Amino acid sequence: MSDQEKKAVDRAEISRMLDKKAPEMKRVLNYCLHCSLCAESCFLYMSHDGDPQYMPSYKVINSLGKLYKKKGNVDLEFLEGIKGMVWNNCVLCHRCYCPIGIDIPRMIDFTRSICRSQGVYPELDEGESWL
Amino acid sequence: MDIYGLVRGPLVWIALGVFVLGLVYQAQQFLSATRKREVVLPPASLLGGLELPKPLSLADISNSFFGVYPVITVVTTIFHVFLIMLPIFVLGHNVLLEESFGFSLFVFPERVAHFLTLLVVLGGVFFLGRRLFIYRVQAISTVYDYLIIAIVVVPFVTGYMAGQQWFSYETVLIIHILAGELMLMAIPFTKLKHGLLFFLYRYQMNYEHCLGSGSRVWSYNQAK
Repeated sequence: MSDQEKKAVDRAEISRMLDKKAPEMKRVLNYCLHCSLCAESCFLYMSHDGDPQYMPSYKVINSLGKLYKKKGNVDLEFLEGIKGMVWNNCVLCHRCYCPIGIDIPRMIDFTRSICRSQGVYPELDEGESWL
Repeated sequence: MDIYGLVRGPLVWIALGVFVLGLVYQAQQFLSATRKREVVLPPASLLGGLELPKPLSLADISNSFFGVYPVITVVTTIFHVFLIMLPIFVLGHNVLLEESFGFSLFVFPERVAHFLTLLVVLGGVFFLGRRLFIYRVQAISTVYDYLIIAIVVVPFVTGYMAGQQWFSYETVLIIHILAGELMLMAIPFTKLKHGLLFFLYRYQMNYEHCLGSGSRVWSYNQAK
């Protein structure tokens, strides 16, 4: 994708996507007690010496959580910033376990959809430059 | 009406009203945001071949939440159980109940109540300590999370102080009642509502780790 193509972010489209899932997201973000007990259920967290950036709740709070708080008013830089978090730091293996019962992979999956709708996703020839 | 009369009279009713109606509202909101999912069962001939549930093994326990987080599981359980039981079965509250309605419930002996109150307070200190000193918890903690701990623990700290008659008894008692009322009113409208929604969410929502029937899905996912 060229730089020209990448410049525009369709905020209305992001807002539309967020609004559609608002009943779920609002609750999920509010139910999360920030207890961090989902951490050990993530093999990436375990294999990165307990780096909090790999904690499932951290990934949701700092990607979808921020998107939701900003009501979709984000720029490309923001989406590029969370790209690594939702694609590289999570493999959607669905093994993360939330004591409250939040379906964390669904949230990561949804954040990927939002990024993808704006043309933000890892490309095959990108190597690890975007991480 | 003096301030003591106000906090133990009308304000109690207001707090209880907000608490009960607030929780009913939250439950209604949950139900309206979700719907029953349509279940398609496999043919009866296939059901006959399904395995029976296996008895609990040691591996199940070591893989359980208790096996992975034994300390947190024990502390959390004690904290939550007595957080709910103490206000209902403590002597002082039952004296008020007897005075107002002519009946009272079972009460914990005073020494036991003091000990259990200390356990709840220590539970709060434990959660505060995790937020302050464990890096991964710190990484996702906000001011709101600390406030939630304070809202829950202050009624128990002041309750203990009142029970021990520390400082000015009447002042401590008024702060205790106000803190309790604030907590009751905060429950339905803050993260504290997990007391109710845990059961709705954890047992009702259909997902991989669901503990119950998993009979509900989000309403916006309309079946096509």
